[in-house]
Amino acid sequence: MEEKSQKITGETNSETYKRRGFLKKIIGILTAFGTLVLGIPFIGSIVTTGKERKNKKLIRIANLDQLPLNQPQKINFSDLVTDAFIEGFETRNVWVIKHSPSSVTVFSPICPHLGCSYDWQPQENSFVCPCHSSVFNLDGKVTEGPSPRSLDSLPQKIVDNILFIEWERFEVGATEKKAI
Amino acid sequence: MTRTSKLRNWIDERFPLKSTIKFIIDEDIPGQSSYFYALGSATLFVFSLQILSGVWQLFYYVPTTDHAYSSVSYLRTSVPFGWLIHGIHYWGAQAMIVLVGLHLIRVFIWGAYKHPRELVWLAGVLLLILTAVMSFTGVLLPWDEVGYFAAKVGTNIASTIPGIGTWIKNFMLGGTEIGQLTLSRFFILHIAIVPFILFTFIIIHLMAFRQFGSIGPWKKAKRAITTPFWPDQVAKDIIIAILILLILFAFSAYIRAPFSGPADPLDTSYHPKPEWNFLFLYQALKAFKGNWEPVGTILFPMLLVLFMLSVPFMDKYKETNPIKRPVVLILGIVFVGGIIFLTIEGKGKVPETGTVSPVQNKIVITENAPANIKQGHDLFISNNCVICHSINGSGGKIGPDLSHETARGMSSSKIEEQIKNPKKSNPNSVMPPFASLPTDQLEAISAYLLNVDKGSSRIAGNNNSSSQFSDAQNNTANGNSAGNKQSNINIHSTIGPAASYIGDPRHGEILYRQQCEGCHGVNGAGKVPNPGSASGFIPALSPIQGKYFSQTVNVFVNNIDTIIQHGSVPAGSAPSLKMLAFGDAGTLSQQQIAQIESYILDLNSVDRAKILNPGIKPELVVWITISLFIILSIVMLLYRNYSRKRT
Repeated sequence: MEEKSQKITGETNSETYKRRGFLKKIIGILTAFGTLVLGIPFIGSIVTTGKERKNKKLIRIANLDQLPLNQPQKINFSDLVTDAFIEGFETRNVWVIKHSPSSVTVFSPICPHLGCSYDWQPQENSFVCPCHSSVFNLDGKVTEGPSPRSLDSLPQKIVDNILFIEWERFEVGATEKKAI
Repeated sequence: MTRTSKLRNWIDERFPLKSTIKFIIDEDIPGQSSYFYALGSATLFVFSLQILSGVWQLFYYVPTTDHAYSSVSYLRTSVPFGWLIHGIHYWGAQAMIVLVGLHLIRVFIWGAYKHPRELVWLAGVLLLILTAVMSFTGVLLPWDEVGYFAAKVGTNIASTIPGIGTWIKNFMLGGTEIGQLTLSRFFILHIAIVPFILFTFIIIHLMAFRQFGSIGPWKKAKRAITTPFWPDQVAKDIIIAILILLILFAFSAYIRAPFSGPADPLDTSYHPKPEWNFLFLYQALKAFKGNWEPVGTILFPMLLVLFMLSVPFMDKYKETNPIKRPVVLILGIVFVGGIIFLTIEGKGKVPETGTVSPVQNKIVITENAPANIKQGHDLFISNNCVICHSINGSGGKIGPDLSHETARGMSSSKIEEQIKNPKKSNPNSVMPPFASLPTDQLEAISAYLLNVDKGSSRIAGNNNSSSQFSDAQNNTANGNSAGNKQSNINIHSTIGPAASYIGDPRHGEILYRQQCEGCHGVNGAGKVPNPGSASGFIPALSPIQGKYFSQTVNVFVNNIDTIIQHGSVPAGSAPSLKMLAFGDAGTLSQQQIAQIESYILDLNSVDRAKILNPGIKPELVVWITISLFIILSIVMLLYRNYSRKRT
């Protein structure tokens, strides 16, 4: 710098000092203001998503006439799933037990213990989970192993002999069945 | 010693903290701090906002051609404050260009590029070019109509470089066509490579600037008075920054960036229009045709850049007062004025997307035509033939153009047979049979059609749409079976991809005029007769029947989407017209259907692009922010007056 610094004319040293103190306060307050008005929406956009309510819909599973009595059947179905902005079909399955021509039980295929897929063992007449050997009877009750609760039944509806269900997931590891 | 200064000392022993801070904030500004000097820091502020909002968008955006558009739409409508984050990025991009331009002009007038500040200027010019590159690469990322065609035109411009042009174009595209690889390239350029280079040159620009500081006013006396950068200039910078932030908030809430609909490469109804910041190049291009084209596409922009780069080397005198360097100043005015002139000129010449003349179903017949031809003409209109068939460009586009029946080798018997039994010549025809027409009327219609070529008909009104569907019967082969598909069991299985795209109502209106207006009436008003149907008329779309309407955007779209995709047959004994399966038959692309759906929603006062999850309502965010700012300002002013009085 070739020119020498000079005080602003008409201002004493202490006035200049005070004015600069005020300017520093302005800078601090406006920085805080900017951070606040940007911070709330930007943080808000990533912490409050995922709360969308999925509208429940009935999914066609099977014609009851084609199911055997008292024999658990694993039935695959495909479900249109919306995951944020991507829509696609996902293949899922449920266990269906027909008790009579008009009464069935539908179990979620997810073990309530830690979320593995269990299987039906006809020779033991039980559902057995391969991960931690939880065993459930035909009614879904725990007979052995660590599972904290019975198998989760799913909402169902029978119209003209056609079985419809609503797909739901439940928290695993809890004693109470609680939808996620 | 306070705790903070202890910490500062601890760091300073291990890192040059004090000297770094001193380097950043310790500068005497000749001629005092000024709001003029805030332009550079304002640009830096907006650039930081671009980085922040850009990174934030990556929480949601995916750079794939099948999901880019939906991911941006999702961010903008379904993510809380997504509208604001996208809005800040969109309007911030425009602000960047304006601020960089103003900053450059300011520096030019003050002569701040002169020795020893040449490098500051050169880095600055490079930053301007990099900003333009960011603008060009960013526009493609939403994979919408605007971006797709901007990239198409931009890369075609690159291909005009003699010799290596095609190679450069293919390199930019990652192939010979715009596609996934193009999107990936533009994406990585926009979010990683160019920002990195930008950032590097910002550092060079700032460090070179700090070396010699601001050049100050051209009057020596004024220059002698100085104020420190911290806090005097910083306070002014931050006030400007906050004002810009408030403006960006207001723009994001009140002037939302348009949705132009998902990219549709085959759509001829879309007229590409350059972004405003490239309009001057677009206009300059027009002056050079044929072999001279590379002059406009390559040489002209290169000369502009060369001129800017050479400024500090042409103008070497120490004098900075603009009045005393008239030649440079006039050159600068011509340069900036020329760009502004070309931009305004270009703006006026751009084909507006919304003003394509409507298809008018008016076929006028000459006064002196024979009576039977006149009767045939009237029957052609009254029997709704004109809804599907066009004569000399006027009329519907669903069936073949009937302007040249004689030239096609049709005879009156063939035409009459076709009218009575369309399926005889083409089993897939969707044309309803008009078997009940009396022979004399059939003869009149065929006489009329065979005479079109001979000049008895002419077009009324202006019409520039060409017949794209000369063989529409094949296109709509599925129309019959699809008409019955529509049922209420599982609506999800029957909606098409179009239902999930947000279209542009103005573009939809153009397509509506070409494809739908013939049956559903001007602006969806209906009133077009449909003999044999229960109501006797084709349903109006504005207002639409209650069973389709919903205030919930997705429900409304899904309701009409199934009909547009698969068609429908109206109730009634023998409806002569039915809704064609535009989606199943491929008559319209899914992107086009999305545009039309947005238009139909718009006719019924439902915004297809409605923000479903705003976080806080956009207008409310703006008013809360502005009120808070005003309250803070008042409190600070009161505090200053109070502390003044005390002394």
